[in-house]
Amino acid sequence: MEQTLFQKYGGFSKVSRMVLDLYNRLLDDDDIGPFFDDIDMARIVDHQTKFISSLLGGPASYSNDQISRTHQHLAISARQFDIMAEVLAETLADHGMASEDVESVVNAFEKRRNLIVG
Amino acid sequence: MSIEAINEQLLRAIGVGVALLDLNELRFRFHNDTFSEWFGEPDPEARLSDLFAAMDIEALREALKDGGRYTAETTFKVKRRTMTVSMDFNRALEGDERIAVLVCQNITRIKELESMIDSYSMMVERNTREIKREKEQVEKLLLNMMPRPVYEEYKTFGVVTPRLYDPVSVLTLDFCGFSEMVATLDPGVIVSELNDIYSAFDRIGEQFGCERIKTIGDAYITVSGMPDAAPDHAMSVANAALRFLRYLRQRNDSHPIQWQCRIGISTGAVIGSVVGVQKYIYDVFGPAVTRALRIRGQSEPMTVTADSTIAELVSARFSRLSMGMHDLGGGNEHEIFRMEAIAEQPQGYGLPS
Repeated sequence: MEQTLFQKYGGFSKVSRMVLDLYNRLLDDDDIGPFFDDIDMARIVDHQTKFISSLLGGPASYSNDQISRTHQHLAISARQFDIMAEVLAETLADHGMASEDVESVVNAFEKRRNLIVG
Repeated sequence: MSIEAINEQLLRAIGVGVALLDLNELRFRFHNDTFSEWFGEPDPEARLSDLFAAMDIEALREALKDGGRYTAETTFKVKRRTMTVSMDFNRALEGDERIAVLVCQNITRIKELESMIDSYSMMVERNTREIKREKEQVEKLLLNMMPRPVYEEYKTFGVVTPRLYDPVSVLTLDFCGFSEMVATLDPGVIVSELNDIYSAFDRIGEQFGCERIKTIGDAYITVSGMPDAAPDHAMSVANAALRFLRYLRQRNDSHPIQWQCRIGISTGAVIGSVVGVQKYIYDVFGPAVTRALRIRGQSEPMTVTADSTIAELVSARFSRLSMGMHDLGGGNEHEIFRMEAIAEQPQGYGLPS
């Protein structure tokens, strides 16, 4: 069976660090952060855990329908999406992910742009 | 710098929030920088309840009364980040005055990690449930294709060793006029009728210790005495055969489509094995199967026909009527018999007849 990025980069014990780092960066970011202003911490962490896991082929996957439904009320701009992609790429790279893998993750994220921006 | 001064500097700068309160009034007597950074600068006259309105002051007093300790947690937001701080109160004496030492630790990261573990374990548990469900479906499918002990062997070793089973009894059955039925009836109807009938046969067979091996269109083959040896294998298939006929007669009374079957039974040796690599199937073949098929070919509609071996084995409960000599494979002529139940059948199985 082909190894997923989730497995390649050390499974949950390593991926959990990426998740918490991303969480920190997003909360500190004044473009993305406000989306989480009134959200319970546990929900944000849950969201980030599933987000990273699904992008890396971990134990979470979302149908396009689900992604679209959960983001449609948020009015996310193209610029915010770009920033998110940037923060994501930086975080993964800082945690030692090879550049081609970062690229493939960001591409997978980019593919969902139409479901999220709007 | 004196030791006291160093101590005070340390206490002020440490990453743990520290405050001292007099126990009578619960007013702040001292707090360090970290404390005020988290909770703001308390007024000189401020009481504990002014800063922590939700705290159960009575419980705190009660816990500290006998020199015990009291712990609590508080959450607040710094910008948009939820901070969680644990608060630990201990009683101390300063001269004659009773004071409470409050130590606050930032456990935000622990809470975040707990949330992440919750989230992750829920995903994993859901996945595990899905995998288990899929595994059960695969198992169910394989158990439809082979007997359980054979499946267990296949699961453990990845292969099934072909085995000779001797003696076993084989029952084969087919339906008269099946080709015409296929040509005239709706395919969906044929399949649902066959499903119904085969399911009933499976149930009946199971009651008598028979294991259905396969069906090919209208041909149904079931065996007793394998994979586990059974001393009464001959009686098992003979009784199952009778019950199949009885079931069909009853069914024909209440269904528009009439099914007439022919049954051949035989006793002897068979080989059981998984055949095929990609498209594998558990199959049983050998002299007993060949004979049963040939005997079935000679059988009259809605009757059971047997060779002499099995007829002899079940003679206590079945009478036989010679059907003459026939080639049952191998070029030799053998006498075959039409079997009829003697008195009430079946007996000794605790089943209503």
